[in-house]
This record gives sequence, C-alpha cells and structure tokens, in this order.
Amino acid sequence: MTHDLRAKNLTLGYSDVDIVRDLDVVIPDGRITVIVGANACGKSTLLRGLARLLRPRSGQVILDGTSVHDLKSVEVAKVLGLLPQSPVAPDGITVGDLVGRGRYPHQGWFRQWSSEDDRAVAAALEATGTADLADRNIAELSGGQRQRVWVAMALAQDTDLLLLDEPTTFLDINHQVELLDLLTDLNRESGKTIVIVLHDLNLACRYADHIIAMKQGAILAEGPPIDVIDSAVVTEVFGLACEVVPDPVSGTPMIVPRGRHHAARETVSAAS
Amino acid sequence: MTAVVAGRRTRRRRAGTVTVALAVVAFALFVLTMMVGSFYVSAWDVITSAFHLRDEPSVDFIVRDLRLPTATAALAVGFALGVSGMLFQKLLGNPLASPDFVGISSGASLFAVSSIILLGAGSAMVSASALAGALVSAVLIYLLAWRDGISGYRFILIGIGLSEFMLSIIGYLVAHAELYEARQAMTWLVGTVGQAGSTELRTLLVALVVLVPVALLLQRPLRVLELGDDTANALGARVELSRLALIAVSIVLIGFATAVAGPVMFVALIAGPIAQRMVGHSGGGIIAAGLVGSIIVLGADLVAQHVVPVALPTGVITGIIGAPYLIWLLATVNREGRGG
Ligand SMILES: Nc1ncnc2c1ncn2[C@@H]1O[C@H](COP(=O)(O)OP(=O)(O)OP(=O)(O)O)[C@@H](O)[C@H]1O
Ligand SMILES: [Mg+2]
Repeated sequence: MTHDLRAKNLTLGYSDVDIVRDLDVVIPDGRITVIVGANACGKSTLLRGLARLLRPRSGQVILDGTSVHDLKSVEVAKVLGLLPQSPVAPDGITVGDLVGRGRYPHQGWFRQWSSEDDRAVAAALEATGTADLADRNIAELSGGQRQRVWVAMALAQDTDLLLLDEPTTFLDINHQVELLDLLTDLNRESGKTIVIVLHDLNLACRYADHIIAMKQGAILAEGPPIDVIDSAVVTEVFGLACEVVPDPVSGTPMIVPRGRHHAARETVSAAS
Repeated sequence: MTAVVAGRRTRRRRAGTVTVALAVVAFALFVLTMMVGSFYVSAWDVITSAFHLRDEPSVDFIVRDLRLPTATAALAVGFALGVSGMLFQKLLGNPLASPDFVGISSGASLFAVSSIILLGAGSAMVSASALAGALVSAVLIYLLAWRDGISGYRFILIGIGLSEFMLSIIGYLVAHAELYEARQAMTWLVGTVGQAGSTELRTLLVALVVLVPVALLLQRPLRVLELGDDTANALGARVELSRLALIAVSIVLIGFATAVAGPVMFVALIAGPIAQRMVGHSGGGIIAAGLVGSIIVLGADLVAQHVVPVALPTGVITGIIGAPYLIWLLATVNREGRGG
C-alpha cells in the first residue's frame, strides 16, 4: 500500500510557545527517513504532530489527501504507528501482554482477540528478539530489553507507516545496529515507510534514504544524506566543528567531531 | 506463536479461576453474615429464605427483614468501592490514587455533614448530599487539574489538596455543631453498612447493574490508557473521552456507595492492588477488585458486629486493616521509583 503523509504550513506548540513554525514536509513513501537535530529543537514535537498527537496551531498534517484530524483515530492508527520517546509501562505487566496491546486498533468492542492478533504479536516478538522474554515482567528487564519490547509493541500494531522517536536509546551498539537493520528489513521486505528520530549521526547517515536536519523548529536541510550532510550543515545544526569523511563500510557521510582536546596534530595558536 | 497463545491463555485462565474463587468466598461471607447474630440461622435456611425459595415466617423475619439489607449493603458497597478504586488507580497509574484519597470521599463527606449539621437533614437527604458532594468535588478536581489534558500526577496532588481543605471545613463544622448533630455527623463519617436506607441501597444496586458492564467495556480503552497518553493516542484510542467516561463511572459508583454507607475508609485503596496481585496484571480484574471489596466489607462488618465485644461501625475495622497497608505502600512506593 502506498501512502502519502505530509505537513503543510504546520505550526505546533505547547501552551503559549510555538515550537515548530510553518513547516512543510513530505515523508517519502516506502523510504526510511531519519530526523536529526539538537536537543529541544522540536523533533519529538514534529513526530507527535505527524501522528496527530498534537493539534496544529495552524496548517495541517495530511494523510492520503485528508487532514489527519478529520480521520477517525482508530483508522489512522491502522495505517500510522508511533513509538513515543518515553513510553510508560504500567506496574507488573508482562512482555507478551504489553506487545499484545499494540493490537488495539485492529480489535473492536466485541471482537476482542483473533488468531491474526496472535500471529502479529508472535512476529513482533520474534523480529525484536524478545520472544524469550514474553512471560517476563516489564519492570524486571534491562533498559535495552525494555526498549526492544516497546519496538515490538509498535511492530505489532502492524502499520504501513511507522514513526519511532529515538528507538535506539538504551541500546548497546550491537543492538542499535540490529534494530536499524530490522527496520531496514521491514522497509525493504514489506515496503513500510519508516521515520526515525536518531541522535547518532553516523548511523543516521548510513540508514537514511532521506535525512531531515532540524534546527529551532524548522527544517534546515533535507535529502539523501550523501547530498545533505557536510561539515557546514553539521556545524550549523549542532554548533559542532567537525570533519565529514566517507564511512569505510557504507561510503555514507561519517562525522568526526573536533572537540577542544585530543587532536593528533596540535594546531599552534597564532596569537602571540 | 504457540508460546504467545499459551501465555495469553494461561493469563486468562488464572484470572478466570481466581475470580470464580473470589466470588465463592464473597458468597460464603454473604451467607455467613446472615447466619450469625442473637439468633443463629443455618446456612440452608439463610439461602432458601434470602432467595425466596421457601417461605418460613419466623426465619424470613430475621433473614429478609433484619439481616439481608445489611448483608446486601456490605456486598454492594464493597463491590462499588473495589471497582471504583481499581478504575482510579489504573487510570491515574498510581496505587495511591484511590477516590478516598483524592478528595472524592471528602467531598461526599463535606456535603453530607453540612446537611446533617446545617440543615438537620434525615437519612435520604444526607445520602443525596453525599452523592452530590462526590460529583461536585470530582468536577472541581477535573477542572483544576485540566491543562491540555489531565495528568494523573496533577489530578492526585490537586485532589489531595482539595481533600485536606474539605476535611478542615468538616472539622470546623463538627466542632461548632450542637452535640446531637455532631454525634450524628461523626457516626456517619466513620462509615457503616448498617445505616443503609432501603431506597439508597436500591439505587446503588441499580447503579452497579448498569455501570459494572460499562466498566467492563471501558476496560478495553483502559488497557491502552495505562500506557500513557501518547501511546494510547497513537494506538487510536479516544483518550479524553474514555478517561472522562472511566472517571465518571468510578465517581458515580463511589458516590452511591458513600451515600449508602458513609465513607468506609481504605476499601477502595486496598481492593484493587489485592485483586491485581491475585489475578495478574493483564486480566483486567475489575470484577475481581469488586469481589475483593465485597469480601473486605463483609468481613469487616462481621468482625465489627460479632467478634469484637461491642458492635462497631464497619469503617473502624477497615481503617484498622487499611492504615498499615497505606503505611507499607508509602514506604515502598518511592523505593520502587513509581511515586509519580
Ligand atoms: N509537553 C510539553 N509541554 C511544554 N513544552 C514542551 C513539551 N514537550 C516539549 N516541550 C518543549 O518543546 C521544545 C521541543 O521539544 P522536543 O521534545 O520536540 O525536542 P526534541 O527535539 O525531541 O529534543 P530531544 O532530542 O531532547 O528529544 C523544548 O523546548 C521543550 O521544552
Ligand atoms: Mg525528542
């Protein structure tokens, strides 16, 4: 299924401050989009806006030609899933139970559980390597295990569009790569459109088909990482002096920060 | 796949078995409270008389007229308190968030005590005031806590604040009342199932028959509301509407229960967690929480009426059971880092 998710003149904010201002974006269908930007620049806000968790101050989010706020929540939820940045698990629930709750939009008041639900839950647990944890209590898991369980819940929702807010936090480097590989598999095999907020620029550049660099609630640059990410953009977005070199594995841009210490060649100050 | 199915079946079977067991215990206590007293009546006679299976005037008088109303009140009040507490705790994601802590019961008490002291009201009027008080305080807390939606934490804090405020007014009213009214108010404030009037009891039963099925239906959105607003929204739940409906059900139940028996303390606080521990967290457990509530109130009433040397109000016994639990809860909540 192809889908068209876009924002038009979107302004989002909380109480009296606007965070995202007059933003236009088209999420490329069937691609992996990665959003990068400094802390508090509005990445999560944008993602929540796209998933109609925030009502726009002005402008709109359009899914397949209709404003998301004009669609029924549960219909949107069958097509568009979101894993929030810090989801909360109630006390004492098991992994299997939590992941099962991701099936909510596919169930009804009277048809509560089907074998299709079982299949989706099992597949999500399998894909995230959490099948062994199914009967464990969420509270007893490590941060990384818990994070993978949340991803499993988002996968169980089984949507064509999947938005994930920093899904790799808490994961060790191996699990980060595994998770991003998994999302790439889902993208390649079932054509899911995936939007991820990531802080690791190198992984972002490697896994993104399309990268969006945000600064202060606006999009500063977007496009394929190889075209978009250079040291000027990184400096502009993060205020960080750096070198950008080709990633030896993928050839995508790799960011090497300068910092104030540890340079191999001391640059002697010209000042007297 | 099979492991997933098996896990789900095990969870459901456990919830089912425990709920049936609780129902059996509640029923046994229900019958037992009608057996004991100044005249002993056998279990068989109680059952046949209470359910109109046989007419036996001497037994019927004791069972149907004297004991059945109190036993039914205990069963119904306990059930309502248990369900109400469970809904609140799940909704606000906090074991301390029971309606008797976040100001709903205090609101009911304030109105009831005012009607006793200021208006010299009779029992029907007191009950109606209690119900009105529960609703008014709930609306007040909801409005005060509203800011782009309701956060559980803010709801609890504002509720506790409002509760203290209302309790201090109650203190003032009682301190300045005439002796007779003050005594009446204090008796009402402790809470006892014996004081139920038949109209209020019937209203509570109707409320239960209507609202418990509603609560069971709302269990579905509740299961995702528990995951936080963002996740619930992302899963397509109608968050504000469901929350409002759940709060409404919970408040009407506790309002009616308080109207019948006064603020029987701690039942709403402890029934939910006990039921959860028994059925597991996925089973929903609304019925189980109601049954645990019934068991506590029936048990407390049994102790209050027949075990201690002088007959006491039910609320004294639930207070004695509940207070240590509350202290334990406060002591452990923060250690587990879930105080918020
Ligand atoms: N619920 C909220 N209420 C009020 N302000 C908020 C809320 N959520 C976020 N903000 C503010 O909006 C701004 C953008 O926050 P946002 O969460 O979108 O940042 P972010 O880019 O996701 O940052 P991070 O990388 O730290 O996750 C911040 O200044 C933040 O303080
Ligand atoms: Mg964020």
